[in-house]
Amino acid sequence: MRISSFISRSGQYFLAIGSIALTTAIFFTVREALDATVVALLYLIPLGLITAFWGLAPGITSALITFLTFNYFFIPPYYTLAVHRPADVVILLVFLVVAVVISQLVGRMQESLVTATAREREATQLYELSAALTGLHGDHAITQILAKQVRAVSQGEYVEIRITGAESFAFHLPETTSPLRPPELIVTIQTARDALGEILLWRAAPTISLGEKRLLETFASQGALALERARLAQTESRAKVLEESDHLKSILLSSVSHELRTPLSTIKAAASSLRGNEVSWDSPARPELIAAIDDEADHLNMLVGNLLDMSRIESGALKPKREWNILSEILGSVLARMRYSAEEHKFKVDVPENLPFVPVDYVQMEQVFTNLVSNSLKYAPSNTIICIRANIEGDTVRVQVRNQGPQVPSEHLERIFDKFYRITAADRVTGTGLGLSICKGIIEAHGGRIWAENMSDGFAFNFTLPLTWEGAPPPQFPMDTETE
Amino acid sequence: MNNEPHILVIDDEQQIQRAIRTILTEKGFRVTTASRGEEGLTLAAANEPDIIILDLGLPDMDGVEVCTRLREWTQCPIIILSVRDSERDKVAALDKGADDYLTKPFGIEELLARVRVALRHSTRAQGAQSKVIKAGALTIDLAWHIVKRDDEEVKLTGTEHKLLAYLAANHGRVLTHQSILIQVWGPADADHTEYLRVYMRQLRKKLEADPERPQYILTEPGIGYRFIADE
Repeated sequence: MRISSFISRSGQYFLAIGSIALTTAIFFTVREALDATVVALLYLIPLGLITAFWGLAPGITSALITFLTFNYFFIPPYYTLAVHRPADVVILLVFLVVAVVISQLVGRMQESLVTATAREREATQLYELSAALTGLHGDHAITQILAKQVRAVSQGEYVEIRITGAESFAFHLPETTSPLRPPELIVTIQTARDALGEILLWRAAPTISLGEKRLLETFASQGALALERARLAQTESRAKVLEESDHLKSILLSSVSHELRTPLSTIKAAASSLRGNEVSWDSPARPELIAAIDDEADHLNMLVGNLLDMSRIESGALKPKREWNILSEILGSVLARMRYSAEEHKFKVDVPENLPFVPVDYVQMEQVFTNLVSNSLKYAPSNTIICIRANIEGDTVRVQVRNQGPQVPSEHLERIFDKFYRITAADRVTGTGLGLSICKGIIEAHGGRIWAENMSDGFAFNFTLPLTWEGAPPPQFPMDTETE
Repeated sequence: MNNEPHILVIDDEQQIQRAIRTILTEKGFRVTTASRGEEGLTLAAANEPDIIILDLGLPDMDGVEVCTRLREWTQCPIIILSVRDSERDKVAALDKGADDYLTKPFGIEELLARVRVALRHSTRAQGAQSKVIKAGALTIDLAWHIVKRDDEEVKLTGTEHKLLAYLAANHGRVLTHQSILIQVWGPADADHTEYLRVYMRQLRKKLEADPERPQYILTEPGIGYRFIADE
């Protein structure tokens, strides 16, 4: 780099001197026909062109050389630098002044043109950078764009951008490891408040000029602005999420305290009346009160369990303990347990026994069935049928729990799986408002999907469960061929 | 001096200690309580209780660890107490030698039933095992490999028989999936819960009046199975 730039700079001088030699040779052949003053005038043309093409320094040098050659070849006596006629001295002096002045004027113009072009290029590059950075939200994306632009503009061998802070990382171009020597330039990415990182540039030659350094500093501050903007946006969205979860928590608290107080009131009333001897020992109310205490304690336990499940789902701590299970066994045990609460309804179960094994958490799937069936029991009128069926659909099993309850307006179908979502405010059916969202959490943790739909004669919950487990298909039923 | 069975309760919650102590004392048991794991281990060594009721969530050490350390020197039945949704811990404690579990909150009949089963198994460990087990309409003769339902012999395959024999010999106690699989199929198949699911269903079809609502072979969700026989 260094050598080639030297060659190109000295090349300019060679070319300049060469052109002077050439013009001198041309003028020399027609020397007899031309007057010295005309030659002097003609000499100004190549001088102007040289300065225009190759800059001020070669221009001035050429002017001085031309002064000598003009004197040597065209002012009599020829082939000496001596001057005899006073008029020739004037010509020579005027020529020297004019040549140098012209060279300087042209050179300055040329230089300011170069500067203007460079400024324009810088402005374009800055504009390109800020355009590329607009709309980026991630630190990584911003850093990548910044590194690319810095490398393109500086023509550096290697560019590395280090971002410090809570989540520090580095991005570099090209993909290789950095050169062994220290970087030629380090620019800090600085916002008004603190340093966010730095840009490291390796470029041995040409040496990084002041202008380039200034440009890279501008780049760094553009990058700093983009990073700061991204961080502010993140903070804002985090604040929004927090606000929302805060709002949900206060709904939870009011819902929970209401729901907990109902069974507690029953327990308190029953226990205190039994303790205060207000119910005689042989009164038929006695076993009833005791049963109420027992039932309501169970109810409380269920509520607390739901809350725990919900918090576990929200924190992502609900990890299914999968095993190959038989769906009809899980459903059977749920329905057997629910038979007392379902005395006013009929179950119709269509879950084939020879359905393949399903890789699910037994306890969690019990919970899903319990919540879906008890939700159906709550809304479906007495003496109607609740139909549960399962069938294979591709590599999933699809389960449907269908009841003859009222339909749900289609705009609510998706939202009924949200926490505490009730279709109408008047819809005060007992429950935490968590049952369906727990189902959703469990099914999704299993890699399935849950949705609700209106049927011609009622309402149905559907869910799917994958039949494969870590890519493995269900095992075959082990065949017991041995006999006794 | 005292003939009533001695129960050691290791639980850090005062209210639970109080409730269990009141009820068990009322039922004729002698009750000692400890609220820390180390204290419980010391008391167990000093008093040699007949049953230990152990809460898994102790402040000073892991309940499973207490179980392991107790099993280093005593075969005293251990009933563990724990909250819902800690199936993993329960299974770990059961596999480390605990005999049974109760999920808080529990009914007192459940607690008494577990205590009775534990006492029976601990006395049986010293005396002869009963060879014929009756459960409702079922009669299971462990020595002769004969199973009768309403006096009619039920044909079982070899594996089914092995499975039922293991369940029946431990009637009243919870058996984890893993312990059944190891006992019946061997350690290589300890993870094949699906075998259990299939065989349990076959067994229920042959033995239960309503296989969907079993009376004898009960599922303990996430833990294992329990065989219920006549007292």
